[in-house]
Amino acid sequence: MKDCLEVNVVRFIHLLRHTGVRIGSGEVIDALNALTLLDLSDRRSVRAALQATLVKRPGERAVFDRAFDLFFAPPEEKQQVTARHHHKWEKRQDMIRQAEEELTFQGQALELSDREKTVYASIPEADRQKILDYVKKTAEGKNVEQHFRPILESVVKGSLSYWRKSLRNELDLSEAPDTGDRELNALLEGVGSTGEGGFASLLEEDMQNIADKDLPRARELIRRLARQMVARITRRYRQSKKHKQLDLRKSIRSNIRFGGTMFRLRYRSRRIQKPRLVLLCDVSGSMARYASFVLQFIYGIHSVVGSIESFVFSEDLERVTPYFGQSDFNTTMLQIINRSAEWGRGTNIATALRTLRVKFPSVLTGDSYVIIVSDTKTMALDEAAKELAQLRRKVKDVVWLNTMPDTDWENAKTVMAFQKLVRMFPCNTLADLEKVMRKKIFV
Amino acid sequence: MEVTIPALRKAFRDVGYITDEEVVITVYLALKLEKPLLIEGAPGVGKTELAKVLAALFDTELIRLQCYEGLDENKALYEWNYQRQLLKIQISRETACTEDLERDLFAREYLLERPLLRAIQADRKVVLLIDEVDKTDEEFEAFLFEVLSDFQVSVPELGTLAARQIPVVVLTSNNERELSDGLKRRCVYLYLDYPGVDREIEIIRARIPDIGEKLSTEVARAVALIRSDQDVRKKPSIAETLDWARALLALEKDRLTKAGVNQTINLLLKTKADLDAFHKNIGASRLEEYVRAEKG
Repeated sequence: MKDCLEVNVVRFIHLLRHTGVRIGSGEVIDALNALTLLDLSDRRSVRAALQATLVKRPGERAVFDRAFDLFFAPPEEKQQVTARHHHKWEKRQDMIRQAEEELTFQGQALELSDREKTVYASIPEADRQKILDYVKKTAEGKNVEQHFRPILESVVKGSLSYWRKSLRNELDLSEAPDTGDRELNALLEGVGSTGEGGFASLLEEDMQNIADKDLPRARELIRRLARQMVARITRRYRQSKKHKQLDLRKSIRSNIRFGGTMFRLRYRSRRIQKPRLVLLCDVSGSMARYASFVLQFIYGIHSVVGSIESFVFSEDLERVTPYFGQSDFNTTMLQIINRSAEWGRGTNIATALRTLRVKFPSVLTGDSYVIIVSDTKTMALDEAAKELAQLRRKVKDVVWLNTMPDTDWENAKTVMAFQKLVRMFPCNTLADLEKVMRKKIFV
Repeated sequence: MEVTIPALRKAFRDVGYITDEEVVITVYLALKLEKPLLIEGAPGVGKTELAKVLAALFDTELIRLQCYEGLDENKALYEWNYQRQLLKIQISRETACTEDLERDLFAREYLLERPLLRAIQADRKVVLLIDEVDKTDEEFEAFLFEVLSDFQVSVPELGTLAARQIPVVVLTSNNERELSDGLKRRCVYLYLDYPGVDREIEIIRARIPDIGEKLSTEVARAVALIRSDQDVRKKPSIAETLDWARALLALEKDRLTKAGVNQTINLLLKTKADLDAFHKNIGASRLEEYVRAEKG
């Protein structure tokens, strides 16, 4: 019986670990010890004990609840979950097989990932036929040799990437990791897809895909992230103890009354230097959604890092600093969107940077950090690169938060051009945004 | 008090700490496993109160270490009484032998015990509350989990001081920054959320016995609605709910009315931004309608 309990608890922990919950071996022992103190027939007690000993981040509670309900379900329910998973797995294998049989080049299957093969099998019949016709025509063309295959693969991958984005709401491409245990695989898939995720799932979601219904939760999450960031920034400034230096003159003066014995030491510390930030946020059509999240985050830390100069740009640049700090975020955003001439237009980074250089030279000083939030897509690439190089020379650092997924970077000319000049980080999820701010800017 | 789940449940009720079964079980496990209890949750959900209640249940001393930025070992653990040592040197300059003097200077009487050392050195089991641990620096946190794993500290001049009794340790955090895995691993974890409406009604009635059934229900429902407003930044705490209910009672209200809300809302919401959000999104009239409609 005891062995059975231990095996079950360890398997449950195995499941939790695969969902991303960090559990150390000490915590496993705590969980087992806790269960020996409770009535195991009381489901509520078992749940509370495992939760108290294993789950130590508020964001993990939702995952724990789903995992607990699935793992400690009656055997027949678990069998159903496993059967459903197996059925789905078989269906997926059929789709992969179909793609391998159809997408061939001179008798050999094209090298595509399983995910791409699944996308191919999921797109509408007529569009699938178009891809197939193209592959066949190319493969059967005159003087087409083996070395033409990577080019064909690249074209097919590009097309499938388009379909993956178009069908993202209909396609289930989630792939749970393999635990080496069929039942756990099935449960893991159930844990990953049951109900609504907590803040954790919002953090990892592409900001562009955050649904309208999730916006209040996203706002709350950003507020929380900004608050944590504020706590961090202010803490950094106050870590003065290490930088404190003995102020001999003051110490001697204040200890004269004790006959020169140093009862009370006086210290001096360096003046706090807050970073001067210049934020340039791309608000062109493709970027509007990202911009609203990034501006909200910056709005949250504006109160402590007072010297943030904020600009929005698309075809040209516009200063929006005066809107911050006067009213709540929604009003501020409305003001920016209503009054800004730039919101939702095309992008010309060269013009925007030139305007910054010519009209606002005072914000570009040797101690300022410039943060650019943009997907890099722009007209007049060469000019933009020149302007960026000029900007880099004027300020302490330029950090580019790129909302384009980093998997697409290698095919983007603009990314290649700008990456040589400035530090660039992917930033298409709230988790990315938080990480970059925490680790790369406010280090 | 013997530590069992029913005994804890009853004791919590007797002192007016109304809470969920999950909390009772978690506290029970922390006590039985002799592990620190780490409580996270929004401000005002009753984290610190739980430590006070535990001290009351065990009829023991509550030793509190209030954390803040820059808190270091000298303030948390011990410090030599520097001034007193200097005075001793001045007084004994002519008379004492140097070696005796040095030995004397590092005797226990010159040691200023700070909360952590006091809790470890107490003759009977005490409750040690380490409040708002998320406000400390990461270095201090690392030091803290060393103390909490062994319950002993090393004073170079005196040797190792081990705990006479392992104290009941309660750490609280407002989740302003994530605590280290090391600290979390050593603790039993409890996340306290705002109570649901029914639980809050129970709390109000337990703490304010004179309050009527209608008013307590309407207050709890109104507070739940206000807390659900995303634009209200500082959500009303349980203590603020109680203050609000007491204020309404003092004004001889037996129901929640628009006038009553307007007269007393600043006991619940304490920033201009939150008051503005309340008036804009909910308003006193709608609040009155809401609590009445819910009732119907």
